[in-house]
Amino acid sequence: MAAGPYNYSYIFKYIIIGDMGVGKSCLLHQFTEKKFMADCPHTIGVEFGTRIIEVSGQKIKLQIWDTAGQERFRAVTRSYYRGAAGALMVYDITRRSTYNHLSSWLTDARNLTNPNTVIFLIGNKGDLDGQRDVTYEEAKQFADENGLLFLEASAKTGDNVEDVFLETAKKIYQNIQDGSLDLNAAESGVQHKPANRPGQTLQNDQQPKEGCSC
Amino acid sequence: MELAAANEDERPVLPWDQFSQWLHCVCVVTFDLELGQAMEFMYPTHIELSDVEKANICYLAFPDSNSGCMGDTQYWFRIRRNSLYRTNNKDTDYQCTKDCPVTLLKDETHYYGYVYFRQVRDKTLKRGYFQKSVVLLSSLPYFNFFKEISDIIAPEYFDNGVPCLEAACHDIDKWPSPIPGQILNLPLMGMVLHVRIPTKQDKPGTNVLDNTDKSPDRTPFSLSSIHEVDLYQNLSDVLPHIHLLWELVLIGEPIVVMAPSPTACSSTVLALVSCINPLRYCSDYRPYFTIHDSEFKEYTTKTQAPPSVILGVTNPFFTKTFQHWPHIVRVREVGLGNYGGSKPTLTPSDSKLKKSSAIKTLDPKSGIYTKYKQFLKKDKNFIKAFTKSLVENKTSKTHSALLRRHFLELTQSFIIPLERYLASLMPLQKCISPLKAPPTLKPFRPNDFIQTVENNGPQLTSGTRGDWIGLYRRFMRSANFEHWLERRKVEMEMKLVSLHMTALSETDLMAWCQDKSEVEVVDMILRIRQKISLVKSHKIDVSNITVDQLSEQVTNITKTLPLDLQEILLCTSRK
Repeated sequence: MAAGPYNYSYIFKYIIIGDMGVGKSCLLHQFTEKKFMADCPHTIGVEFGTRIIEVSGQKIKLQIWDTAGQERFRAVTRSYYRGAAGALMVYDITRRSTYNHLSSWLTDARNLTNPNTVIFLIGNKGDLDGQRDVTYEEAKQFADENGLLFLEASAKTGDNVEDVFLETAKKIYQNIQDGSLDLNAAESGVQHKPANRPGQTLQNDQQPKEGCSC
Repeated sequence: MELAAANEDERPVLPWDQFSQWLHCVCVVTFDLELGQAMEFMYPTHIELSDVEKANICYLAFPDSNSGCMGDTQYWFRIRRNSLYRTNNKDTDYQCTKDCPVTLLKDETHYYGYVYFRQVRDKTLKRGYFQKSVVLLSSLPYFNFFKEISDIIAPEYFDNGVPCLEAACHDIDKWPSPIPGQILNLPLMGMVLHVRIPTKQDKPGTNVLDNTDKSPDRTPFSLSSIHEVDLYQNLSDVLPHIHLLWELVLIGEPIVVMAPSPTACSSTVLALVSCINPLRYCSDYRPYFTIHDSEFKEYTTKTQAPPSVILGVTNPFFTKTFQHWPHIVRVREVGLGNYGGSKPTLTPSDSKLKKSSAIKTLDPKSGIYTKYKQFLKKDKNFIKAFTKSLVENKTSKTHSALLRRHFLELTQSFIIPLERYLASLMPLQKCISPLKAPPTLKPFRPNDFIQTVENNGPQLTSGTRGDWIGLYRRFMRSANFEHWLERRKVEMEMKLVSLHMTALSETDLMAWCQDKSEVEVVDMILRIRQKISLVKSHKIDVSNITVDQLSEQVTNITKTLPLDLQEILLCTSRK
């Protein structure tokens, strides 16, 4: 195993947002545990999930904030968005109302994160194609118009679940590589405490400051 | 610990909770004139078994050829479990496994069947015979213990019927959990049994339940060993070859034991499996195996090399089936060692290994049929001492204890160099840095290990000479080795995690988080929480002080975060 200070060189913060019951926690569970959670309790406030992935040979730890979809928790969500490098915006393909609310979620995401935050639109419950209420084409068009990445997925079968988490990370990493995401600027104005070294949202922990490295 | 106790108090003990810690169920198998062997009933009635499991139990509950089994017969079997292992009490499970020797752990993939078979003449019945078995089914390999239990329960049942089983099961449901190291008082059908499940810290060969123990309500019943079968009695037919057998078991060679009765074959198989204590025999073993077994085809196929298993059989049909097997052990009836005036010795005239071709002629002679070349030479000192014991006409128990101690010393001499090499793979204490990931174990490299044997091999602790290196090379390809290494690695990795936690708890995290961003501090909090949860679920062992210090650290560094985030973290920590 690599002998890094931790076992990863970056931490990316993700948030998962969207209406109640669209399957946010199930997507997270499927991604971290590779299992479908059949009866999942309502999320209160926020739940955390983590998993270490690899992008272009770099180990990246995803710190995933799974937020409550209920309206009454909307007020306390500012800190969810702060410093997020990726936002997964989820709707349920069998319930049009969850799709109709996307513009309101998108407004929050745009206002509360920085311009470089990668937003990924996910049409969940792709396994229930027979009950479909939102076509793929319609959602795809919405995503294109708003510059979002888009996939339909199923937390139940696991279809495309890995892809959305990994694609988001790839995009973020690519932004770092080509310089469009400035690690210093990423959180300026949002961070509570001023930091004195580069790499805030996206931490590069591999600094040889702690002596022995076995 | 207090936490565990508190949890247990909160959790009510439901009917059958305690029972299921000891037994899965009791089965009664009868001979139905139309169906053959059939499950008459199972108790408790809510217990489930798959059809394959039931069929296997039915066939294994009766001797293969029952002509020679008039009266009462007791023996053991082991079957694959194909229903899921479920546990409903993690804390009790932890207490039961924490100090348990690996050889006595609950087996999550097999059931052990403790059989009491009765066959008597009964003119009132159509066939003229009464044939029935009571089978205790359990995941615990407590061979002597359950044999005694079935010896108490089954005759009562045959005499007085179902209410006896109900009463016995209710008694068992009142038993304390099988926690190693405690003297357990177990009421059963009007008597109280005293048992103590050994712990892995016990000095082998000592018996804690000796006669100096004077509890007031002491009844005559107390078992010296809950699991160890009598080595001398069960190996008396093959005494000259015990070192060869030890090697075969150690490296997981396929062995078939042929005997005239299920009692003889099952107890011989158990004796073999136990001779590599404290190592656990990890390939499959079936103390009693029949042609009806669901694994019959899998184990007897000639298209592949024989599997690494030890099978006990009685059916003469197997003589042909197992012709191609590399090692065949033939034994006579148990306790017939002294039969015909000739005492078993270590060097009888026919002590030579028999050619494997001889088996085809249905040669009824006891002995071992193999072409195997031993790696080690026989330990002459032991043979001398043991022969002396035999000559002096000591009891079978004394002979057995001598044998067991010898095997134990041999096995320990074998393991010590492996343990020593393994210890050298552990990173140094100074490499543990609290703010970095815990260091990892260096990989086990067989060739590196072999190099250490030259100077630090078993020759330091054992009088046995021979090709130890060759034996290690074979051993390192066996399931026994794989299991040993896997278990030791987990233990050492947990040790590293706990050292790392202690180091982290002593670090000034407030200073650390001065220049860290929100996401990093949250990452640290989540990581510490995850470690604490590992402690609470008993995966790692660290002091309460460390846990308290870490919790305090989490509280402190949480306070450096913005207020709204503090609230969120507070919420999630309560869940």
